[in-house]
Amino acid sequence: MANYEQLAMEVLKGKKKLVIATVNELLAAGEKPLDIINKGLIVGMSEVGVLFSQNKMFIPEVLMSAKAMEEGVNIVKPLLQVGDMQSAGTVLLATVQGDLHDIGKNLVGIMLESNGFTVINAGKDVSPEAIVTLAKEHKPDVIGMSAMLTTTMLMMKDTIELMKEEGIRDQIKVIIGGAPVSTDFSNEITADGFAPDALSAVGLCKRLLA
Amino acid sequence: MYTTKSLYRRANFDINQTICWKMLTDDQCEEIFVTAAEVLERTGAHIENKEAQKLFAANGCWVDGDVVKIPSSKLEWAVRTAPSRITLCNKSGKRAVLMETENSHFGPYYGSEMIVDRASGKQRKITVNDAIDTARLSESLENVSFVSAPGKPEGFRKETAGLYALEALILNSNKPIIQPVSNAKEAELAAEMAAAAVGGFDALRQNPYVVFTINCNEPRFHSEDSLGAVMYAAKNGIPFIYQNKLISGVTAPSATAGTLVVALANNLVALTLAQFVSEGAQVIAGGNFTIFDEKSGIAPFGAPEAGLIGAGFSNLMRYLRIPSAGIAGISDSNVSDAQLGAEFTYGILSSALAGTNLIGGGGALESGKVASSAALAMTDEVMGAIHRIMGTFDMNEDTLARGVIDEVGPGGNYLGEDHTTLFFKSEQFWPNLITRKRIDDWTADGAKPMGQRALEYVEDLLGQPSVELVNSTVAAEIKSILAKAEETL
Ligand code: B12
Repeated sequence: MANYEQLAMEVLKGKKKLVIATVNELLAAGEKPLDIINKGLIVGMSEVGVLFSQNKMFIPEVLMSAKAMEEGVNIVKPLLQVGDMQSAGTVLLATVQGDLHDIGKNLVGIMLESNGFTVINAGKDVSPEAIVTLAKEHKPDVIGMSAMLTTTMLMMKDTIELMKEEGIRDQIKVIIGGAPVSTDFSNEITADGFAPDALSAVGLCKRLLA
Repeated sequence: MYTTKSLYRRANFDINQTICWKMLTDDQCEEIFVTAAEVLERTGAHIENKEAQKLFAANGCWVDGDVVKIPSSKLEWAVRTAPSRITLCNKSGKRAVLMETENSHFGPYYGSEMIVDRASGKQRKITVNDAIDTARLSESLENVSFVSAPGKPEGFRKETAGLYALEALILNSNKPIIQPVSNAKEAELAAEMAAAAVGGFDALRQNPYVVFTINCNEPRFHSEDSLGAVMYAAKNGIPFIYQNKLISGVTAPSATAGTLVVALANNLVALTLAQFVSEGAQVIAGGNFTIFDEKSGIAPFGAPEAGLIGAGFSNLMRYLRIPSAGIAGISDSNVSDAQLGAEFTYGILSSALAGTNLIGGGGALESGKVASSAALAMTDEVMGAIHRIMGTFDMNEDTLARGVIDEVGPGGNYLGEDHTTLFFKSEQFWPNLITRKRIDDWTADGAKPMGQRALEYVEDLLGQPSVELVNSTVAAEIKSILAKAEETL
């Protein structure tokens, strides 16, 4: 008989096929879709976060877990009642103008989604103007900017300045990430926070929106 | 699973399973051998030991005073008779070190006079506690295959000091031991101690747990004591290294090829004598080589030539099918600095790639004079990294990855692929002491250089409670052999 513990373990191990089978079994046994997410899938993913921060799991494995979780969520999602599952928040993600590095930023997106956030991924090489336009359209709770080059990181500052000019800075938290940036830099450009990796980015968003 | 290949089998597929580094061809090795044979037949060697002289004479060699000339036929016979492979075992008899073909095994240096005190960072004399620490540390270090004491501990007579170090090794490690001995009597007592540890002489012979290292004091001059120890080891079935310590331009010709001729001639004397004592005696050819640094007046064992000559020596021994021993992991630097890192690395790299069967020398500073446990941990890390290079990679349909390359497509990344999770752990070296942290994280961790990280790692390992590796009966037996040594040596 399938149970939540087993489901969490399968997410932890990144076993896509087993997760699909277990979710279907749990549904057939009459378990609630929301419980499957909260008591099984998310529990597994939280454990992934703990092991990653202890250097006991690594990015490729975390991604396998995230993908396995996504498969499970995809089965359950259509069965949820309206208002059943609240989004943890909406995050607009972009790699800043002039920068083509998007692997890390996309990873942040995947991890946010598997932790219940709604993610709008604006892609790479996104100008401050384009970010502000998208922000006005989607009204995200958080804007996350990524830069991997010392030459493009200043685009983050430009974007924040433009947000101020356009009067939307107060309503939206701004977080930044990428190899050359740091907490110091985040403070310097008056962003709301920096995270060194995708899982701490999730924690950061949760903290900022709490 | 990852194939998109049509169904066919490739014929005549040639692979390199490892890195191939062969400095000397068979023809070059033969040339060195015939030259050494000519030296021993024409010039001969100085043999001080009367019993050895008698054995040489009885077996068809020409003995004239202390000079012994060996006919080439005898050398060739001896080389064929000595085993091409010697297996060392740990204390419980488990096969541990397979000295054969071009397998290399790494361990600590055993010829230091001083040690770096971990608490003060200053040099001081070696004590029996240092032998204990080296044994315990070696037991934990993954790339260390055998143990030895850093040098003779102080506080004992010089005749017996080495045996107290041996006691420390037996009591604190299970790995095979390399033990320097200087004469037959010391060899006998050391063998008794090792036999006590493994349950008797038969067990010791069948599963060799200790290897003697015996110094050839001067080139083609074989002392009374050294050959006495050689004959004891051969008679009693204990493998031994006959150790050359040659300095090109001083105790050997300054040309590398000539140094190798002298080294081989030295080894062949002990090897031939051992075969006369007992056909099949287990002999390991040892070569510690370097040049003479005219500017400092030092024989620098961290020099690139140490690696170069050692590599040639190992190639030569491979050609002759004689197990080889060399030294690497020694630096000429006095502290843990960039020079030390460079010398550790190219020394170990050239020894290991040349297929030296026993690489003893890990963790010594000041050209070998000073031992350091932090440095031993660093050489262990270097050895690990080099093992990774030597391990190369497998090539097959899965590892060629054409399926996943197609799946990911141009511009994509491999981070989230099943294929990546299958291989990323085994395809890379996972460093322990080497740091790859970004500067912020490294600074937050105390901005520690490699030497300090190594020292803390060692402190941490040695801070663990020690486990008893020998029962009290055996420990008492060893003590009584030591008491006997105090009377007889
Ligand atoms: C892959 C890569 C590329 C790929 C990018 C492919 C792609 N689609 O992304 C390609 C080949 C295109 C590329 C090009 C270049 N690159 Co490049 N590249 C890299 C490399 C090797 C890895 C980056 C990566 O993906 N890492 C893996 C991910 C998972 O980690 P991550 O990006 O750090 O992301 C994590 C965190 O930073 C954080 N994070 C990331 N974004 C965000 C966002 C938020 C909001 C938060 C909270 C967290 C967060 O979470 C992520 C997951 O844990 C790095 C070297 C390195 N070691 O970082 C160089 C590197 C970034 N590249 C570099 C350079 C110089 C270039 C080029 C200029 C080279 C050239 N001369 O052409 C070009 C520039 C192109 C451009 N205009 O952007 C330099 C940058 C030096 C600097 N400080 O300025 C680096 C550091 C290499 C180096 N040591 O020189 N590169």
